[in-house]
Amino acid sequence: MTAPLPRASRPVGGGPLATGATVLRAGVQTTVQDAGRRVRALGVPAGGAADPVARRLANALVGNAPDAAGLEVTLGGPTVLFHEAALVSLCGAPFDATLDGAPLPLWRAAQVQAGQTLTVGGTARGLRAFLAVRGGLHGHEVFGSRATDLRAGFGGVQGRALRPGDHLTWAPLPAQAARRAFIAPDLRTPTGPHHELRVLGTGDLTPDLRDSLLARPFTVSPQADRMGARLTESVAAPRDPARPSVPNVPGLLQLPPDGRPILLLPDAGTHGGYPTPLVVITADLPRLGQLRPGDTLTLREVTREDANAAHLAQERALRQAEWMLRQ
Amino acid sequence: MPAPSGPDLPTFEWLGDAALTVRTPRARELYASLRAHPLPGVQEAVPALDLLTLLLAAPTAGEAVQEAVAARLATLIPAPGGSGRRVVVPVTFGGPDLDWCAAHAGLDRAAFVAALCAAQLEVAFLGFTPGFAFLTGLPEPLRMPRLDAPRERVPAGSVALGGPWAGVYPRETPGGWRLVGRTAMNFFDLSRAAPVPWQPGDRVQFEARA
Repeated sequence: MTAPLPRASRPVGGGPLATGATVLRAGVQTTVQDAGRRVRALGVPAGGAADPVARRLANALVGNAPDAAGLEVTLGGPTVLFHEAALVSLCGAPFDATLDGAPLPLWRAAQVQAGQTLTVGGTARGLRAFLAVRGGLHGHEVFGSRATDLRAGFGGVQGRALRPGDHLTWAPLPAQAARRAFIAPDLRTPTGPHHELRVLGTGDLTPDLRDSLLARPFTVSPQADRMGARLTESVAAPRDPARPSVPNVPGLLQLPPDGRPILLLPDAGTHGGYPTPLVVITADLPRLGQLRPGDTLTLREVTREDANAAHLAQERALRQAEWMLRQ
Repeated sequence: MPAPSGPDLPTFEWLGDAALTVRTPRARELYASLRAHPLPGVQEAVPALDLLTLLLAAPTAGEAVQEAVAARLATLIPAPGGSGRRVVVPVTFGGPDLDWCAAHAGLDRAAFVAALCAAQLEVAFLGFTPGFAFLTGLPEPLRMPRLDAPRERVPAGSVALGGPWAGVYPRETPGGWRLVGRTAMNFFDLSRAAPVPWQPGDRVQFEARA
C-alpha cells in the first residue's frame, strides 16, 4: 500500500503515425493490461492481466519490467501493422500467430521489422495470452496503472477494448537482440480443457458446502469475462440478505443466491455481499485467466502450508527465468 | 510484547493464502494509520464496516503482519471525530422513491427531506464502484428496505437509501437502493488530482437545493 495515492491520470503518449503500430483487426476482446492498480479502498477494481505468469514471462523475454503494459488477447487475437521495428513476445494460451504469414512461435522474443503485420488468430485451448512489446505500451495511466477497466471506462486505449484504426505506441528502449531462453513447460499456466484449482476454505465454508463444492467437476459457463468466471452447475447456497458488504480478494469463489459459483477475476468489484466459502491459492490465480467456457474444473482443498510451498516454488522458478533473460 | 487484552482486541481471519481480515472497532483509525505509515508486507488495505482486509505482498508474510497490526492497534487513539473533514452534498430531492420513503418514515415530503438533511452522516468505507461511499449515521426511521429487484439502471448522481446506508451513485450502474434525489457533485472524476473527494471518516451532510 502506498501512502499518497499515485497521481490519478496521465494523458496517453503518442506520436506521428510513422511510429508505433496500427490495429487492423481488433480481435474478440483485446485490451491494454499491466499488473493493475492498488486503490480498492476507493472502490476501484485491481485490473491487470488475468494470467500474470504470461505477463511476466512475455515482458521478461523482451527485456521489460515485469509490470510493463502489453496487450491481453482473448479467444481470438488482433492483427497489427507495425510502422517501426519492435521486439515482441507472445505468452499464454497456444494461439496461432503469424508475422507476415510466417508462423510466430510463442514463449520467445521475435523481431518485427517496420512494415510487417503481426496476426494473432485463435486458440484451441485456454482463453488468453499476453503480447509484450519492448519498452512497454503507452496507455491512459490511472492510479499508477495503464490497465484497461472496461466497466468503468478508463485506462489503456480510451478505457475500452481495441478497435480497428487504433494507434499503439510504446516507450523507446535501446534495441536488444531476441534472447533465447528455455521456459519450462511446467512454468506455463495450464490451459485446460480440464483444470484443477487448489483452494483454501474461509469462515463461510460449512460441511455441506465442502461436500457440494469439492467433490465434483464443474463446467465453466459462457458468462466468463474479466470480472469473473461463472460456473454452470449450482449448489445449495445459504441465504443471508442482511449480510454486510466485505472486501473481495483475487480468486474468491462467490456464491450468489442461485447457487452457481463465480470465481472472481481481476476486474471484479472491490466488495461483495454474497457468501465466499473458498479462495483459490495464489499460485493457481493465473489459471483463472485461462478458464474458457466449456472447460471443466475441480476444486481441491489444500493446507496453508501447501499453498505457501506452491507459491514459493512458482515464484522461485519465475524469478529464475526472469533473471536468466536479463543476462 | 505484553499479551494484549480487552474488548477491543482485534481478530484475524485468513482469506485465502495472501489476505487477512482484521476485525476491530478501530478499523477506521487503523486504516488511516496504515495509509500514513504503511506496514512492510502489506500491499493494500481495504476497509469495510469495522474491518480491514489486508492484501499481503507474499503469502508467507502473514504471521509478522498480524503481530505488527496488533502492535499498531495498541498505539492508536480512538478518533470519534472521524477524519475532521466535512463534505456537503447539494441535493435536489425528488427521486422516484422519495414519496414512498417519506410515507415509510411516517413523514410528509418536506419533513422527510428536513430529517435527511439534518442527519450527521459519515463515510464508513468506499466500494461497489469507483467513488461509491457507504454512508453511516442514518437515524432508524430513515433506514429504508432495499428494493426486491434491483433497477437495471440507476442514473449517475442519484442519492439513495438502502438498509442502514445512504449513498450516491457516482455513475450509471444497476442498483437496489431507493432513490430520493440527485446531485451534480461528481464523486469519480479522473480530471482532478484527487478523483474521489471523500475518504473513510469524513463527515457528510446533504443540503437541499431547489
